[in-house]
Amino acid sequence: MCPEPQDLPGDDPEVGRWLRERLPRHPAPPQLRAAVRRVLMPEEGKPRWRWAWLAPSVAALATAMLMVMWMATGLPVIGSVDPIQQISRAVVTEHARMLSWAQREPDVVPAALPRVMEESGVILNWVFTGDEQIRLVNAQPTYVEGHRGMSLGYMDRDGHAVTYVIVPSGGVPLPEQGRVQIDRWRPLIRRENGFSLIVWKDKGLLCVLVSALVSEDDVARLKEYFVKVRSQTELSPVF
Amino acid sequence: MSPEEEFRQEALQHLDALHNLAVYLTRNGSEAQDLVQETYVRAMRFSHRFERGTHLRAWLFQILRNTFLTFYRLREREPALSEDGVPAGGAPMFHDAPDQDGASTEVHTDLERALARLPEEFKTPLLLAEVEGFPLEDVARIMDCPVGTVKSRIFRAKERMREYLKDYGQERKA
Repeated sequence: MCPEPQDLPGDDPEVGRWLRERLPRHPAPPQLRAAVRRVLMPEEGKPRWRWAWLAPSVAALATAMLMVMWMATGLPVIGSVDPIQQISRAVVTEHARMLSWAQREPDVVPAALPRVMEESGVILNWVFTGDEQIRLVNAQPTYVEGHRGMSLGYMDRDGHAVTYVIVPSGGVPLPEQGRVQIDRWRPLIRRENGFSLIVWKDKGLLCVLVSALVSEDDVARLKEYFVKVRSQTELSPVF
Repeated sequence: MSPEEEFRQEALQHLDALHNLAVYLTRNGSEAQDLVQETYVRAMRFSHRFERGTHLRAWLFQILRNTFLTFYRLREREPALSEDGVPAGGAPMFHDAPDQDGASTEVHTDLERALARLPEEFKTPLLLAEVEGFPLEDVARIMDCPVGTVKSRIFRAKERMREYLKDYGQERKA
């Protein structure tokens, strides 16, 4: 029953007592307890991780082999190779891999990030975990063009997958052509095999946002996502 | 047991209390879980900064609050503080109904509704002091403000809680 006005606590200690005695407590649910245990005691889960990483490792190996085969056939035709194009194609492959292999586990992503950072060599001081439009659903170490990196998988509310790939830039310059002003940045926008890519550099790392969002409206949406990840993710500089 | 293991074991003991505060701060179950996980990730990453022998519980709550302010508060879109530091409008109702009888559920609902209307600056010290039992000095450290400010905020928070509860009581009576 709701308290009558005259029954309401009349002084400070009374309010405190009400809070202590009547405010429901929310203990941690079992899945959170398990996730926190993985953060605090990662060694407990080591045997499982070994098997969990078998499939992605095989996929990465297969991707690498396909890339080698593709490059072997493509090189004579292409002549001089555009490094950004190479990276773009590799990133599209990585995006496809994320779509086909990766499990979407938004609940365990924050807990998995330290391990992913350790394995990828990419350190994130801050990371955009999502908002009402788009949400971080996966994080994986990756290999792009022989560089260790990190892939962050996002899913927007309409079910579009967006992958944010971060790898060491290896001194690859970003051409001026194709750059567009988005908010306060001027990244490169590319189209590759039916995918849209936004490419930029941040603290010595090459960052690529890739998605199948290709129509004019969709690219505008991808630009919005770029602003979110660009402004709310802080990378640690690579020396 | 090594100091690291001790640190981890002790950190785990505060999980329920951290989750409880996270629920009342975020008013969203999944965000509360994210917030708690992120708190532990940060605690592990910066465990070298923790001074052994000091209050781990207060340190974890401080990380949780700072993480909340950094990542989640923008989403909260709390109304701007008015002159007395308390917004005039009501916040959306939040309630995970406990498995208890109807009468006490109603009281719980009103308490939660009243608490939800408090801005974070008032809600956090009130919960830390009254529900978690932190001494005012620790609350001040967690909130990164003087003890006098903490006292004043707790006083005002209680004052406002009384008003809200009175309003709800009158609403039901009418």
